[in-house]
Amino acid sequence: MSFLGEGLAEAARLLWAGDARTYHAVLVSLLCTTTAVSLAALLAVPYGAWLGLYRSTPFRRLQVFSLRVAMSVPTVVLGLLVFAFLSRRGLLGGLDLLYTRTAIIAGEFMLAFPLLGSLVYGATARLEPRVVETALTLGARRGQALVKVLGEVRPALVAAMLAAFGRCVTELGIALTVGGNLPLHTRTLATAAQLELSRGRFAEALAPGILLLVLAAGATMLASWPVRGDRL
Amino acid sequence: MLWRTLTLALALALAGCSVSTPGDPVRVRLAITTSTYNSGLLQELLPPFEESTGIQVQVIAVGTGQALALGERGEVDLVLVHARRREDAFIEQGHGLDRRDMMWNDFVILGPPGDPAGLRGGEDAVAAMKRLKDEGARFVSRGDDSGTHIRELALWERAGGVPAGEAFYLEAGQGMGNCLTLADEKEAYILSDRGTYLAFASRLDLEILVDGDPALLNPYGVMLVNPRRYPHVQAAAARKLLDYFTSAEAQRRIAAFRVAGETLFYPAAEMRP
Repeated sequence: MSFLGEGLAEAARLLWAGDARTYHAVLVSLLCTTTAVSLAALLAVPYGAWLGLYRSTPFRRLQVFSLRVAMSVPTVVLGLLVFAFLSRRGLLGGLDLLYTRTAIIAGEFMLAFPLLGSLVYGATARLEPRVVETALTLGARRGQALVKVLGEVRPALVAAMLAAFGRCVTELGIALTVGGNLPLHTRTLATAAQLELSRGRFAEALAPGILLLVLAAGATMLASWPVRGDRL
Repeated sequence: MLWRTLTLALALALAGCSVSTPGDPVRVRLAITTSTYNSGLLQELLPPFEESTGIQVQVIAVGTGQALALGERGEVDLVLVHARRREDAFIEQGHGLDRRDMMWNDFVILGPPGDPAGLRGGEDAVAAMKRLKDEGARFVSRGDDSGTHIRELALWERAGGVPAGEAFYLEAGQGMGNCLTLADEKEAYILSDRGTYLAFASRLDLEILVDGDPALLNPYGVMLVNPRRYPHVQAAAARKLLDYFTSAEAQRRIAAFRVAGETLFYPAAEMRP
């Protein structure tokens, strides 16, 4: 326990001293994660809701099954997939995107998409079919009915976004494999913590961990703001 | 009298907790560097030892920095690393005992086949590093306090200073394998141990440009974590493993160990000065 206490004190001291590399890693983590989760949400939320609401969608069960399986793909494997495309010998090698933040975003998009899709599917599939039917009989188009229903499941939507944010901001496999852990460029809080651990500097490894907690708390507070009164 | 009896009982009970029952195999924890682990050498060395002694060896593969830190905290019983100065400091500070040379291999300077800085065929590592700096040739640094990183920094110092902060100097902060991939993708120069390079060579364009300099020798040392400082250390079993690593039998196995037909490690006795 004394080690944990010392570590926390040392972490606080490091943060107070304002190490440029640590704070840059905060920005990289935030930038990559918010971009990836937003992009994934744009596609995965309507997709998941569509699967949840319109039961006649062709291959609906297969699509839901695939989403759920894809949720468990390890981040190292996602990193490798992106690597295979962006490598100099890969299909998109000419773009010179390997070891950039864009590469990290691409990987985290693939991480967030099935998670969001599957959680939104779960939230909407449980709704009474009548909600959609009513909207449709009132003259709404299918897309409009979808937006209406998403409003109904707002708390679940917020929880799904937070889950995706948490998974992306803490992931290590993608950021290491296609980010490269380059300081002041692609080093994230998670890769910074991993590096300090491999150096045997345990207290220094705790500092990014504490920052990750702060980010998660901040995101949660921000997300629950507009839905105050709703139960998350 | 009652207190004394109670204290004695408590002491006995505590002692009982730390003594393993006869049926349990003794476990020894060995912290080693990832480069050694990835080579597969231990899978060759350990099974005969475990069979003949009944001691189970748990291998914890981490960077040199973390391996020494685990030793300093008494989390492992033996440490096998390659960073001579750090090893000596470890012993001097009383964390470890009885450091022995176990084996050695060498570092090589790798670069893209085009070799823009013109290092090919060189045998002077410091001169090569100077040249890289003068030419501003892209270089990937481990940046992780590993044995290889420590050697790289020492070479930069002798070449007039570490080019930290320069645009051509990429600090990766990762293991050897990932750094080799990074250097290959970025067509950069890199310092690597020969073993990891050979294991990755078929997937890389990088070529050996400089080797054979005594400044590139890479000795591996093994030592015991000090049982006087950390009484829970498995001292007797750990010493057996230390003796085994430096025994004629293990040294023979090290010399005979090959990966894809290449020798990766040389016995300690054959170490060049």
